[in-house]
Amino acid sequence: MAGIKALISLSFGGAIGLMFLMLGCALPLYNQYWPLFVLFFYVLSPIPYCIARRLVDDTDAMSNACKELAIFLTTGIVVSAFGLPIVFARARLIEWGACALVLTGNTVIFATIFGFFLVFGSNDDFSWQQW
Amino acid sequence: MAGFLDNFRWPECECIDWSERRNAVASVVAGVLFFTGWWIMIDAAVVYPKPEQMNHAFHTCGVFSTLAFFMINAVSNAQVRGDSYESGCLGRTGARVWLFIGFMLMFGSLIASMWILFGAYVTQNTNVYPGLAVFFQNALIFFSTLIYKFGRTEELWG
Repeated sequence: MAGIKALISLSFGGAIGLMFLMLGCALPLYNQYWPLFVLFFYVLSPIPYCIARRLVDDTDAMSNACKELAIFLTTGIVVSAFGLPIVFARARLIEWGACALVLTGNTVIFATIFGFFLVFGSNDDFSWQQW
Repeated sequence: MAGFLDNFRWPECECIDWSERRNAVASVVAGVLFFTGWWIMIDAAVVYPKPEQMNHAFHTCGVFSTLAFFMINAVSNAQVRGDSYESGCLGRTGARVWLFIGFMLMFGSLIASMWILFGAYVTQNTNVYPGLAVFFQNALIFFSTLIYKFGRTEELWG
């Protein structure tokens, strides 16, 4: 049951985050769809860590270096997802209010992705009874 | 009066073992610094698109800093000491030369960015923000390199 509750709350978090993003784009006050480019960063963010986990086992000497590179790149993708709306607002493509909404949505989405990895990430004690 | 803070201890937080997480924290901090530096430069390039405001050649410093970041972090400290089992394709001396060139590129880019800030912006009485952006990009990449290289411990690498 813990697995189901976590999954539902994570999907709720994801929905709220995407809601903030869409509000930042679709409100009649703003009506600019440039912020949708952060979706690219949302999709990209789990990829380095997943690749690193699949590529090396834990006992290898170089596995930690690979994982740290993956953490570095993931942090970069997260920073880029925050930087892009700010640069859009500075270039006056979107309003600062829309930027604030998109940044809030970013925070919620990345917290959701991070929570997903925390709850469902570790394969050590994976048991089928979770479901 | 002297030494009255000697017995002061921070409140203990037992929940997280920071020594285990040192590498991950260093990677995160280095990532934040590195990419913040690049986004500062992207912001300056977007807000000041004309070459009179920011000469496009100033991007070179950031490019060389990034190249130096990857050169410096490509060799592990064990390779440079000669401790690891396999010597890699360049050997110990090759690793040292590679690291030397990497640090030279890094310091050169940092000094060039300071020169750009002062020579092309501060002394010319123009808007100084693009010069600051070039400087902060290279300074942040420099600190990110240091943290990524020396903030991680290789003892955990087995």
